[in-house]
Amino acid sequence: MRYTDAKLLDALASAYVLGTLEGGARRRFERLLRDRIDVRALVAQWEQRLGQLALSVPARRPSANLWRAIEARTRPVAEHKTPTSRWPAWLRPAGFGLGGVAAGVIAASALFLSAPGLFITSDQLAMRSGERLPQSYVGVLTDAQGQGRLLVSSLRHGKTLTLKVLGTAPLAPALASDERLVLWALPADGAPFAIGTVPASGTQVSALPDTSEKLLSKVSRLVVTRERTATPSAPSADVVLSGSCAKLW
Amino acid sequence: MDRNILTSLQDLIAGAARGDHTCFAQIYERTHLHLFGVAVRMLGNEQAAEDVLQEAYVNIWKNAASYRSSVDGQEIQPITWLIAIVRNKALDALRSRTRRSAHEQPQQHFDAEDDIEVPQGADTAPGALQLFEQAMQALRIEGCMAALDGSFRQSLALAYYQGLSHTEVAAQMNAPLGSVKAWIRRGLDKLRACLSAQGVTP
Repeated sequence: MRYTDAKLLDALASAYVLGTLEGGARRRFERLLRDRIDVRALVAQWEQRLGQLALSVPARRPSANLWRAIEARTRPVAEHKTPTSRWPAWLRPAGFGLGGVAAGVIAASALFLSAPGLFITSDQLAMRSGERLPQSYVGVLTDAQGQGRLLVSSLRHGKTLTLKVLGTAPLAPALASDERLVLWALPADGAPFAIGTVPASGTQVSALPDTSEKLLSKVSRLVVTRERTATPSAPSADVVLSGSCAKLW
Repeated sequence: MDRNILTSLQDLIAGAARGDHTCFAQIYERTHLHLFGVAVRMLGNEQAAEDVLQEAYVNIWKNAASYRSSVDGQEIQPITWLIAIVRNKALDALRSRTRRSAHEQPQQHFDAEDDIEVPQGADTAPGALQLFEQAMQALRIEGCMAALDGSFRQSLALAYYQGLSHTEVAAQMNAPLGSVKAWIRRGLDKLRACLSAQGVTP
C-alpha cells in the first residue's frame, strides 16, 4: 500500500482512531505511526475530533479493587520521600542517598590513606607521564544542512563525556523554555538510550552512568532530539542533529 | 493527596512522567469515572471494562513521558489522549474476543443478538445513537450533522461507542457491508466539517 497519498493517510488515521481499521492493516498502520510524525499528527487530530463524542457517555464507578490492582502494578517498590533532584532519573545511580554517600566517603578515605596508588587512573597516569591519551569514543553530529555542529568525546574507561558545540548559530532555533536538546545513543542491537542534555553553546562535561566502553562500544549512531519532558523514554521524532560514533582506539 | 485541585491534568501527567506516583493517583481520581463509563459502554460488562482500565492506567503510568501537549503544531488535550489509550485497549480486547469466538465456532455467522453483549442495565442505558445525538447537541453541531441520513449517524455511533467493526455494524443494522463502510466514511467527513465549522477542532 502506498503511504504517500494524503487523503488515504487521513482516511486510515480516522479509521484507526474509530477502530474500524483492523487486522493486518491496523498493525501496518501502527508501524507507520511509530515512524512518522506527520501520521502521528493526523491521528492526534482524529483523537481530538472523536474524543468529543466520548463526552456524552455517562460516568460509572468501578469497584475499589481496580485502583488497588493498578496501584500494585505501578507504585514504585521502595517508595520513600526522595528530595527532588536536579539530575534526571537515568543519571541517578540506584539507591543513591546521603547514607550511601557518607559510607562511600568513609570507605574511600580509609582506602586512600592505605593505598593512594589505587586512585590514579590510567588516564591520570598517562597525563602525569606527559603523554596525553586521545579520546576513545568520538562522535561528530551534523545538522540538516550537513554542517558539523556537535563534537562528542569520551575516554574509554572514563565516566565523563565532553560535548562541544561547534559554530555560533543556535543548535535549535526557537527552543521553548520547557524544551531541551537530548543526546541519544542508538545501539546496533538495542533500544536508544539518553546520554545527556546538550548545552546551547560552548563545552560541557557531563557524568556518565557507566564507563564509555560499557555504554558506547555497540553504539554506531548518535542523535540529538528536541524533547519536552525531563526524562523522555524514547527519542522524539524531532531530530535536530545526527551523526556517527566511532571508536578511535 | 493535598495537591491543589487547580493543578492541570497536563501538569499531573508531567508529574507522573517524573515518577511522581501521587500525581498518577490524582490522574486516576479525576478521570476514572469517565473512562470507566467509556470502557463499559464499549465492552458491555464491568469486569471486562475493569480489566481494560487496569491495562490502560498501567500504560498511562509507564508512558506518561510520551504524552505531548502538541504534535506537529496540533494541540492535544490530555483527556483525549487518555480516552484514546482506553479506547485502543478496549478495541484490542473486543477484537481478541471476536477472534476467540470465531475460533471456537468457525461456522457460526455473526448474529447481533448472540454476539454483542448487551450492556448491563441496557433498558436504562442510552443507546449508541442516543449518545451520539447528545454529543452533537452538547457540541452544538446537531443542525450541521442533521444533513446526514440517520443510518450514517447510527453506523458511526455503533462503531464509536460500542467499538463494532464494519462487519458487526452491518450485521447489527442489517445493511450491506459496502454501504456501512461508505456511511461511516461519509459520517467521519461530515463530523470533521461540522466540528471545524463550529470551531471545536480543526
